[in-house]
Amino acid sequence: MKVLAPNGEKLNLMPLNVGPSHGATHGCLRYFCALDGESIVATATEIGYLHRGFEKMAEQGTWQQVIPYTDRLNYCSAMMNNIAYCRAVESAYEIEITERNKVIRVIVNELSRMADHSICVAAAAQDLGSTTGFFYLFDSREMMMVIWEKLTGARLTNSYARIGGLYRDTYHGFEDDVLEVCKQAEKNLKDIHAVFDRNRIFLDRTVGVGKISKERAIDWGWTGPCLRATGVASDLRKDEAYYDYETYDWSVVTGSTGDVYDRLMVRLVEMEESIKIVRQALKRLKPGPIDIVDPRIRVPAHDLTYQDMESLIGRFKSVYEGVRVPKGEFYSGSEVANGELGFTLISDGTGKPWRIKVRPPCLTQFAAFQELVEGSMLADSVATLSSLNIIAGELDR
Amino acid sequence: MIEIIQSKHWIEWLINIAKFAFAFVPVLFILLLIPLERRGAGFIQDRQGPNRSYFRLPYFGKIRLFGWVHNASDGLKLFFKENYAPHGVNKLLFLLAPAIPFAVVLIAPAVIPWFAPMVFTFGEEVIRISGQNVNTDVGLLLLFAISALSAYGAVLAGWASKSKYSLLGGLRTTAMIISYEVCLGISIMGILLLAGSFRLDQIIAWQDAHVWGVVAQPVAFFCFLIAMIAETGRAPFDVAEGEPELVAGFHTEYGAMQFGLFYMGEYSHIGINSILVSILFFGGYSIPFVSTSTIQSNVGISLGVLAFVFVFAILAFLHLLYRYSRYLKKSSYANKSAILREYSLYKIVGWAAAALLLAAGVISIMYFKPAYTLIDGQAVYGIGVALGTAFIQILVLLAKAVFFCWVWIWIRWTLPRFRYDHVMNLGWKVILNVAIVNLVITAFIVKLIGD
Repeated sequence: MKVLAPNGEKLNLMPLNVGPSHGATHGCLRYFCALDGESIVATATEIGYLHRGFEKMAEQGTWQQVIPYTDRLNYCSAMMNNIAYCRAVESAYEIEITERNKVIRVIVNELSRMADHSICVAAAAQDLGSTTGFFYLFDSREMMMVIWEKLTGARLTNSYARIGGLYRDTYHGFEDDVLEVCKQAEKNLKDIHAVFDRNRIFLDRTVGVGKISKERAIDWGWTGPCLRATGVASDLRKDEAYYDYETYDWSVVTGSTGDVYDRLMVRLVEMEESIKIVRQALKRLKPGPIDIVDPRIRVPAHDLTYQDMESLIGRFKSVYEGVRVPKGEFYSGSEVANGELGFTLISDGTGKPWRIKVRPPCLTQFAAFQELVEGSMLADSVATLSSLNIIAGELDR
Repeated sequence: MIEIIQSKHWIEWLINIAKFAFAFVPVLFILLLIPLERRGAGFIQDRQGPNRSYFRLPYFGKIRLFGWVHNASDGLKLFFKENYAPHGVNKLLFLLAPAIPFAVVLIAPAVIPWFAPMVFTFGEEVIRISGQNVNTDVGLLLLFAISALSAYGAVLAGWASKSKYSLLGGLRTTAMIISYEVCLGISIMGILLLAGSFRLDQIIAWQDAHVWGVVAQPVAFFCFLIAMIAETGRAPFDVAEGEPELVAGFHTEYGAMQFGLFYMGEYSHIGINSILVSILFFGGYSIPFVSTSTIQSNVGISLGVLAFVFVFAILAFLHLLYRYSRYLKKSSYANKSAILREYSLYKIVGWAAAALLLAAGVISIMYFKPAYTLIDGQAVYGIGVALGTAFIQILVLLAKAVFFCWVWIWIRWTLPRFRYDHVMNLGWKVILNVAIVNLVITAFIVKLIGD
């Protein structure tokens, strides 16, 4: 491919198409490289291979019927998306959920965050050629999946949160299972640090690769662990604390240089922080109501509908017409594993959303991809891509 | 023609022809290495590894043979899959490429000495048989020349596939094998200087007389090991098939047994290289502090000890079986009775083999007392002793080689993959220089001390 560079230089480059079906592009996305030998001179990214029209689909049903669609956004931590969506709707109502609900949501959030970070770092390990690292991290994730299964009945696309409540209370023995996962995750983290921390090959592959400065990251609109890896201590759980996150004892993890190494290590250390939060939350888990008592928002419990006239009406109304979110435009961003997952809800006061706009965290990160990889080698682009944790489900929606 | 046939005694012909069977040792290594690698990976990664397939025996039920049946069925599946070539490939080269690495590896064992040169009396005559198939002065060079040819497989596959991923993979292989052949050659020069010969049997003889190569040349050993792994194209140096960025590198477009042949080539290459490491640095077929003549004069005891070693290994294996059976009995697995049935077969076979070997060992120690004749002041034994000694030495060599195969697997499942340019840096800027410094120092020492 003969190319005339902007500076007038004539280059002979090899075009190489990575994706959409390629081992390194987890999910479906494509980047097109112009290679000079093995180094990437220019690259262009393309998304949309997994576009399912989430936002349009959300307009077709009631407000509650959007919840299962949100599972398919970031399918590595599905329940976090439900919780973020429900939080957005609840913030439109300006209601407070019950204490036990908050604590359960925190536990589920943090476990999902651990699962998501596990997948990201495990996939990065696989991409860097270490299958063993992959399996070490998947160990505790598998235990989390078993908890999800018991909690919600599904393994991957599980929806647990409901507007103003939860699908159901936790099962008997939930606390023990969670504690066991924490223990196993700590062990696996120790293993993975032993495999990678002082491994020369790993350091060569990751340190200084895919670097981005603080300012550029903010310019691109980065959030979450990738932004924190550049040294910006930005975490919605601290900045706009919700679910009493500010009362737990944990710290925001930041990196220093914003390279692949920092992004992976920030995720691993964040898992440790999540374990800390989960342990504290388990202590706060007191028996109590799960759902708020308001038939206009939360569907009344099933047994009530047989005894109580208002509950029966409430149940019919909210199932047939949907909950009526107050008229107006609302935005609520939650800190999910990848960064800020924002839902813009526009309601016309009926039971159906008029418009839902999602702000997926990894879209902004993937937008900066070409800036990160241009000038580096082909193998670096793979390491960079996996450290950004691009989940095609939420990238394309 | 008749003269050529008559130049050797018939028993000499027979043994020489039987030695051709050594060409298939790499194939045996494939059979060993595929299950070892897959189950070994499972062992390192805290999982089971492949152990699903089985065949049925009456009473004992499903026999899995610890995953060997599974791997055999996987191999069988590859044989029966369709050979597929994408549109527009260079048909001839595309078909030829997978055969090259495997074919080449079948030639390589020709120069490897499997046992010390045999001297024995047969009837009236004294017969001498060398340990390698091709008894040549350029032994090691020939081996390197042959095994370097396997690069052609990757290069041609990369070129003929008409895919950019394959092409990049092929290019990477070419560059890497050329670079690491240099390191490989330089790193063994030290031991060659010490032994004063390219002949592998003389290198072993030197180690037998002095010390193992790894003690005399520790730096060279590590350079050689790294260069050897790189030359095989295994992780962490598998940039040629670097699966994330290049899909599967040079064998992206291959399926079925064509893909299998690349893997068989790789595994047999590992086998040959492990044998080479054990020959160059770990004394080959020699046993420390036990010379060939010692084995020959005590051949009964040696065979007996060998049998006892096997008995010990079998007992250790049985111990594991019994311990795991106890664990199974307490567990709540749904299929535990089936597994216990299966294990009962292994236990029976194990105990029977242990008893037979024990008896054989005792008999060998008590009754195998060879007679000898003195020729030129040296004791020369009969054919039984010679074959027994050769048997022990082959097993010793293979045991050392299998250990190094495990090192290969161990490294593969522990380390991440290098980046392509880091591999080149390591090869040219580190290993080559270290090997050259090592060579110069060794040369000085050899010159000063003399031999």
